[in-house]
Amino acid sequence: MTQKLIPPSGFTRRGALKTLGLGAGALAATTAMPGFIQAQSSAPIRIGFQVHRTGIGASYGRWYDRTSQAAVKRINDAGGINGRMVELVPEDDGTDAKRGAEVIEKFATQSNCDVAFGTLFSHVVIGSAPRAGELKLPYFVVSEGHHVASGMLNRYTLQPGITDVKSQVQAMAPFVAANLGKKVCMIFPDFAFGHDHRDYFSAAFEAQGGTINAMIAIPPTETAFTKYFPQIPRDTEVIYHVMVGPAVLTFVKELGEFFGPSRPELFGFIDSLEAVDIASPGLEFLEGSYMWEGNPRYAQADQTEYDKAFRAAVGVDDNGASVSDSRDISTYAHMFGCWETLNIIKAGMEASGYQGQGDRAALIEAVEAMSAMPLGMDHPQGAKIFNGKTHQTFGHQYITRVESGKLLLAHTTSIEDTLYEDEVDYTTRSF
Amino acid sequence: MWMLRSFVNRSVVTLAGITAPGAALAHPAQGGFVLLLPTDIYIAAGCAAVGLSVLIVALMPAGALARLFAPRALGHAPDLATARALTSLLSLALLAALLWVGFIGPRDPLSNLLPLTIWTLWWIALFTLQGVLGDLWAWINPWRGLHGLVWGDAPPPLRLPKALGCAPAIIGFVAITGFALADPAPDDPARLAAFVMGYAMFTFAGMALFGAHAWLGRAECFTLLLRLFASLAPLQTRPNLAIGLPGWAAIPDRTAEKVPLSLGVFVIVLLASGSFDGLHKTFFWLAQIGVNPLEFPGRSAVVWSTTLGLLGANVALALAFAGCIALGHLALRGPAPRLRDAIAQLALSLLPIAFAYHVAHFLTAFLVGVQYSVAAITDPLASGADLLNLGQFYVTTGFFNTQGSVRAIWLTQAGLIVAGHILGVLMAHRMATQIYGGHRRAAIAQSPLAVFMVLYTLLGLWLLAAPRGA
Repeated sequence: MTQKLIPPSGFTRRGALKTLGLGAGALAATTAMPGFIQAQSSAPIRIGFQVHRTGIGASYGRWYDRTSQAAVKRINDAGGINGRMVELVPEDDGTDAKRGAEVIEKFATQSNCDVAFGTLFSHVVIGSAPRAGELKLPYFVVSEGHHVASGMLNRYTLQPGITDVKSQVQAMAPFVAANLGKKVCMIFPDFAFGHDHRDYFSAAFEAQGGTINAMIAIPPTETAFTKYFPQIPRDTEVIYHVMVGPAVLTFVKELGEFFGPSRPELFGFIDSLEAVDIASPGLEFLEGSYMWEGNPRYAQADQTEYDKAFRAAVGVDDNGASVSDSRDISTYAHMFGCWETLNIIKAGMEASGYQGQGDRAALIEAVEAMSAMPLGMDHPQGAKIFNGKTHQTFGHQYITRVESGKLLLAHTTSIEDTLYEDEVDYTTRSF
Repeated sequence: MWMLRSFVNRSVVTLAGITAPGAALAHPAQGGFVLLLPTDIYIAAGCAAVGLSVLIVALMPAGALARLFAPRALGHAPDLATARALTSLLSLALLAALLWVGFIGPRDPLSNLLPLTIWTLWWIALFTLQGVLGDLWAWINPWRGLHGLVWGDAPPPLRLPKALGCAPAIIGFVAITGFALADPAPDDPARLAAFVMGYAMFTFAGMALFGAHAWLGRAECFTLLLRLFASLAPLQTRPNLAIGLPGWAAIPDRTAEKVPLSLGVFVIVLLASGSFDGLHKTFFWLAQIGVNPLEFPGRSAVVWSTTLGLLGANVALALAFAGCIALGHLALRGPAPRLRDAIAQLALSLLPIAFAYHVAHFLTAFLVGVQYSVAAITDPLASGADLLNLGQFYVTTGFFNTQGSVRAIWLTQAGLIVAGHILGVLMAHRMATQIYGGHRRAAIAQSPLAVFMVLYTLLGLWLLAAPRGA
């Protein structure tokens, strides 16, 4: 699963909004400047696609590939970028940090790519970004990790098409406190991914007046869970669970057997069950529970025309499954990020009048200058606000409820719920 | 020169490659469903079946096994050497085209026909067919035809020392398995193309220097492996057409020369390497090397642990197997045959286990990889072509996403492994009666090996059921 790293920091929403205002001003300034007029090339724009084809991220990589291919097709069908066709150059990184850096180098030095794009797993992003910075290759990641906005990366690395886990987690707290209960027991895997949830949800939830009454850390290699459940306090109103890995189904089944029909409210992250059918045997216990989703897997009653068209383009039906096989569930909560990021690259290249690799810095500046990204075909998951200083986008989060084996929308957070104070200003760093 | 019944060195050469990257193509839900299956019961049933087969074999009347493995002659097979030489040349041309695609085609290993051909169509599909249908490799090896064309039957300039036995093939197989399991990117098209081309040239040079017969028979590990797998097929075409119980042709003829110890070791290495391939992604192994399976850092972080683990697994299995045979000799009263001869010959009974594990282990990878192969055949350069007129073609892993299909896949894999072990038990006992001279003596000498077979069934099924994280 995606390892979502969130370094601690204090923040205020006001500070974040101030930054975004500055970003909007910068966009106006950049677009007002006359661009360089260079000889128009008819050669395709080459986008190096760093994709988890093999390794632990392969099941995500398959859908990232499918979504990216569909996005590029749409861009090309509409005339490409600045009159040039777009060519995706996929390279497998093996979901391996070292290989990730090698792939970046290959994009920059061998395969003549204009930009790099696509990485999901955090350790690969963190392993690759320094090389992208050294080689001055714009690197657009789709990882959800907080590593971009935390300031640990560089001017050349951006995450404009998907929100980060810090904002996702904190945005859940108001809903849980207001609707599910004030006493939460957290159950999480005992490593960085789980610790991020532990630390940031607990902080955000306590800020809402709630109490975390227990934190149960499960060893990553555990495959039997019943022995941990007696640690759940009797007065627990909500269980917040973020288990990942092959034992998730067992976890849910055993939790159901432990509680029987009377259980506390349950709140989880779809990361646990991404690409897994919610109607699977063993998951019945999740009926009536709530999940965070980056993008609702099931087409909702208020489905936008954009979501409908996005599903058609990537070949996904109303249940979030492949149109060719109803059992083949997509990674719907995450893969929209590839689609949106490619559209942002297009918008950035158009805004900067991008002609060739000499314009890479101008492309970064053009993306940094972006701010509001309205809901539309370029952003079918929802409207977003990009923060050019932190290189991170912010957007709506979805909370769905399991009803009759489907995930039905219960709440959509505001973008403001997801904001936090800036931890870095990449625009002050030189190219 | 030793010779198994089915081995007439008419065929072959090799490619390169190994453990399919497709193992990584499995789906998170699959592992989850496997953990929900009552695999403990299935595993117990599988081990009981193998244990029962041991008892039945021990209680069978003397001579029954010999009759069971006696083939039925079907007459002369036509001499098709010229046809095989032609198909070999065609195969060489195909290999050259694949190398070209590997070097200049799509960079995505799941869109590039070279890694898909090597890992899915060759390493999984052909190896499986070889064990079922017989020596197909003799028809599609890419070098034999060219070698014949250039050198004909001229004697080679050098002799491969007989004392080496199959040692070169053992070293080659372990090295290439090491590449497949421990290298960070064995499926990268250009990297694999360079590797395959290098191995192809090395093999051809070996054939030129030492002759096709010696090199392919003792130094080229894939030809040796594929001939061994082919010897498990019920229908054999050489020297004559004959059909029998699977494995009949793998049992050394009493009149043939002794099986060299190095050949026995080669078979043990096949099994150990396959088992380690299954082991090295389990939570269990990752915990041993201190890696969190839920945040596996990537292959480049575990190169040395994987390499050492592979070597260790080979040594451990060789010692365990030899120990079982030695224990059996201790239990025998009266004269026993030479230990090394017994080890060498009885190791051949591990062949069906190695074969079954290969098929079972890669079944899931095949189910996905074959779809990518079709997609790549219809669009070999990832240029949007659709040579097969398939229209929009989406690869699916939906069969890993329902409990029913995951159960069916798991039970198929488990069934293969159990069947492989039962055949191994039968073959071992058949060979033991030849080695130890008599049904009763064979049963005594075999008892530690029988325990080994049951425990290895347990291991194989446990590997199928174990949670994986890499």
